[in-house]
Amino acid sequence: MSHDSRSDDDDRLTRRHYVAGAGTLATVGIAGCSDSGGDGSDGSDGSDGSDGSDGSDGSDGSDGSDGSDGGDSASELEIIHWWTAGGEQDAYQALLDGFREEHPDVEITDNPAPGGAGSAIDTVVQNRVIDGNPPSTFQIWPGQALTPYTDEGLLEDIGDSVWDEEMRGAYLDGVIDLAQPAGDLVAVPINIHRLNNLFFNVSVLDDADVDATDIDDPQGLLGVLETLDAETDVTPLVHQTQSPWSSLQLWESIFIGQQGVDDYQTVIGGDVSSLEDEVRSALDLLASYLEYIPEDAGSISWDQGNDQLIEGNAAFLHQGDWAAGQYSSADGFEFGSDWDMVPFPGTTGVYQSVIDSFVFPTNNPSPEATEQFLNYAGSVDAQERFNPIKGSIPPRTDVPMDEFGDFLSRQFEDFQNSNTQPPAIAHGTAVAPAIQSALEETFANFNENRDVDAAYQGIVDAF
Amino acid sequence: MSSGIFAALIRDTGGSVRSDGPDVDSDAAGDEASDAEPRVRTDGGTVVDGAGERSGSADAEPSLRSRFRRSRFLESIPFWGPPGVLVLFFVYGAIGWNFVISLTGWEGLGSPDYSSLSTEMYTQLLADSSFHAAFQNTLVLLFAFTVLSLVVGLLLAILVDQKIRLENTFRTIYLLPMSLSFVVTAIFWSWMYNPSNGLINELLRAIGLDALTQAWLSDPQFKLAAIIFALMWQFSGYCMVVYLAGLRAIPESQYEAARIDGASTTRLYWRVIIPQLRASTMSAAVVLVVFALKAFDFLFVLFGVNPGQSADILSVMMYRVAFDRVQWAYGSAVAMVLFAMALGVIGPYLYLQYRRGEL
Amino acid sequence: MSAADRARSAATGLDRSRVALYLVLLAMVAFYLAPLESGLMTAFKTPEGFRTTTPFALPPIGEFTVSAWGMAFERLSSGLLNSAMMAVPATVLSALFGSLAAYGLTNLSWRGQIGVLMLFVAGVFIPYQAVLVPLTQFWSFVDLGGRIPLAFVDEYQGLINLGITHVAYGIPICTVLFRSYYATIDEDMLEAARLDGASAATIYRRIVLPLSVPIFAVTLIYQFTQIWNDLLFAIVLVSDPSNQVVTVALNQLQGSFVQQFNLQMAGAFVAALPTLVVYVLFGEQFAKGVAGET
Repeated sequence: MSHDSRSDDDDRLTRRHYVAGAGTLATVGIAGCSDSGGDGSDGSDGSDGSDGSDGSDGSDGSDGSDGSDGGDSASELEIIHWWTAGGEQDAYQALLDGFREEHPDVEITDNPAPGGAGSAIDTVVQNRVIDGNPPSTFQIWPGQALTPYTDEGLLEDIGDSVWDEEMRGAYLDGVIDLAQPAGDLVAVPINIHRLNNLFFNVSVLDDADVDATDIDDPQGLLGVLETLDAETDVTPLVHQTQSPWSSLQLWESIFIGQQGVDDYQTVIGGDVSSLEDEVRSALDLLASYLEYIPEDAGSISWDQGNDQLIEGNAAFLHQGDWAAGQYSSADGFEFGSDWDMVPFPGTTGVYQSVIDSFVFPTNNPSPEATEQFLNYAGSVDAQERFNPIKGSIPPRTDVPMDEFGDFLSRQFEDFQNSNTQPPAIAHGTAVAPAIQSALEETFANFNENRDVDAAYQGIVDAF
Repeated sequence: MSSGIFAALIRDTGGSVRSDGPDVDSDAAGDEASDAEPRVRTDGGTVVDGAGERSGSADAEPSLRSRFRRSRFLESIPFWGPPGVLVLFFVYGAIGWNFVISLTGWEGLGSPDYSSLSTEMYTQLLADSSFHAAFQNTLVLLFAFTVLSLVVGLLLAILVDQKIRLENTFRTIYLLPMSLSFVVTAIFWSWMYNPSNGLINELLRAIGLDALTQAWLSDPQFKLAAIIFALMWQFSGYCMVVYLAGLRAIPESQYEAARIDGASTTRLYWRVIIPQLRASTMSAAVVLVVFALKAFDFLFVLFGVNPGQSADILSVMMYRVAFDRVQWAYGSAVAMVLFAMALGVIGPYLYLQYRRGEL
Repeated sequence: MSAADRARSAATGLDRSRVALYLVLLAMVAFYLAPLESGLMTAFKTPEGFRTTTPFALPPIGEFTVSAWGMAFERLSSGLLNSAMMAVPATVLSALFGSLAAYGLTNLSWRGQIGVLMLFVAGVFIPYQAVLVPLTQFWSFVDLGGRIPLAFVDEYQGLINLGITHVAYGIPICTVLFRSYYATIDEDMLEAARLDGASAATIYRRIVLPLSVPIFAVTLIYQFTQIWNDLLFAIVLVSDPSNQVVTVALNQLQGSFVQQFNLQMAGAFVAALPTLVVYVLFGEQFAKGVAGET
């Protein structure tokens, strides 16, 4: 029947069978029907039966033949990090360059795990650590972010091997505390970012006749945003709502700006309900701010938004000072004349800290190289190379500031003059990861619906 | 007559069974469900319920046949045994294990503690507003996506069935998206929906409908709808294929009869043809529901673990809770709900197939 | 001859409705291809190009570039290789297992097989989420690399775990596909072989397997697409970045360069190429296979 000569019929059969075939995949639920006859059995009798199984064996074997280069050299250093964008990437490369100069024998396997403020890296690192197959070292926020690992003893105590007297003496005490959330020193902080910054494009503000230093409190900023929106074509506040962390950190700054650091410490301590009105007030203001963000905030990343500020299409950006790294790599965009920054209104004297660190996971694949790397990360040389490009200040107090440029030198000055350096929620140091994740979900929802009641409840439930 | 597999699969009535006489009851396909049940239990022992045998097979000697069957059983084990063990272990064992984990309070990077089990995670779930939202969205997604894809697929199938030229080409194109990974289609659609440069808004602007341009994937009003639309794009071609096979299985005489009665084309399809596509609809719908339950990949690529309450679905919530928040037990509980939903769709379907002897 | 055709033939001469039909069909072609077409165009544009032109327009002069393709390929090449190394054996194995199971549950009839079959069929519909947590637990216990002292097992442990998992989850659908085909095999022929004293294994090898070539084609194509396209198992079960499969690599491509649409689109095409090729090339064969015309 399949050799029917009438082309018309043949054609139709083929089509029908094509359809039938694809359809079969569909109807997986209906198996093993019975049909009246032996179709399919005729005409293929002659072929030899061993084909199928042979084929499978062959391809199975090919799997093995590829595993030739084992490459388990002891001095292979695998680093997982999330510095994949713009200035961050350059800073990381500068760090690696410095390390390579000191340890040319160590081969570095670079494993960027992108995803905003580290969202993908968690899963990757957690799985590997649980599997007993950790990388040599990985980037992580110190403080509370370390607790899932320290709870299970998954990080090596490096209090003796890496943290020698010289290093301990050079780091600020508050930073050392963050590196030992459970008593043992387990992390090497490499930088300190400030979170409560308000960056702005100088000429955009000049054109609008706005003076950023005149803004006294978060409410005052709202007034300026309204003015900018009414009187200019620029986007008043660059912001992204694709990932929730930007809104979360903005809320943190608003809260501190409105209520001060003591109340903030109360909140991150878990006592949200005693400050219900204060928390709500900050949420209300955040909702108002979100009226003045880009139309495409839901589909851009923070650095894309920042490009708009650089190009003069936007006025303000609330962001950690990693944003400044992008300004220095932009051509002809100079600190002071083209861009500037004030502490977020109401938070002068506060240096809300975002810190990155490297750790020494247990079951380390390259203990020696890891130790070398951590030692290097804690050195003056490393921090002097890394921080100017990253746009952060060194956690060591003895790093020469010559290379840091005007902005970071000013930040460093602010840091030294600051009254308090609270940790950040959106960047892991302030709360445990599960709480942070729940807060991120809350702010993801808030980005959508700006529902203050729901967000307040979400914050309460998160702790 | 070579009828192809699919045409046989979606036949409406369970009438046609294997034609060879004595073997007709060799599996449940030819039997009533009620008959197969007791015989499962007596398997391996002597056949006691000879009276229960159907008259159609009464001519065979029971004891010989039972020996024969038993040896067939033993003979067949090497074939379905190894894959069966894999499935039993990886699928059913894992689900059982997942259930047990959902009864622990396991979280963090340590190991679960199986010594104290409770249903606390499920109690927590019931009080969790993000669970409510995700559950609701999952239902909306399941329903809207399935119905939309079926409707579009049916219309397409009817159009393609009009003896068109280049039918192959058209069909191949309509079905093409299905061969793509969710990761790929999510990337395409994030570009399509891009508010400033995306094709959808560009088209709206081009035809002067600027007012309708939206931030499709960030505006909570449109997010879920945008997702459903994109998923429909990916799977409606597949429904078309299922329906097309269904349409072609309908005997020509029915079209003719309707024609003779003077029915209009619309009426022909509405009254005569579509009602006969029930089986196609059902099989397509079941598969669509399964795809919808698996839509995790698509949302994950677009939004990561936080799609926001307007688009959060259970499969994303499960991943967020278990892998982002390392609350394994809670994640397992969400997974059990998801499993129960799948079961709610598949169970009745399988039962129905079984009753009709089409399994 | 299509019945609908017959129905329509009464209306011959209504060319206008014919034109309308083709217009609708073409509009649907545009609908289904638009995301791919604008993706393809975007992949050849510079950032300036895709920001300033309509997505589906050809790259303007001076804004044409293939650099996104080079970069996408570079970033995805190890993922492509890993996916291929994992997906091909996993596809073949699950198809083979499916064939065996379908034979044992279809052509060798025994009481109670419907119950076993139910378990196989239901397995098709299990949401992966329902097993993710136990699977991560399981694979971290098993630690194949630590148990089997072979360099390649150690190096490709993640891929092997992933492959085995895909095999297990592919068996149900493969079994169902094979079963629907095997049910059409002439029982008399198998019975005759049995009476000649052939064992079940011999019958499978000599009769059933040769007959299975078409359905193997269907199953292999379908299963390959499924395994290649999966993201969820891959992100959860493969933590070693050197074992990363292409869907994961592609997702990261977009994670790190959110607005580099040309790169993302090029990457999407690179990652989709194998399944696209399989689909376009073997579509017809696929059809013939199902029809038993080989």
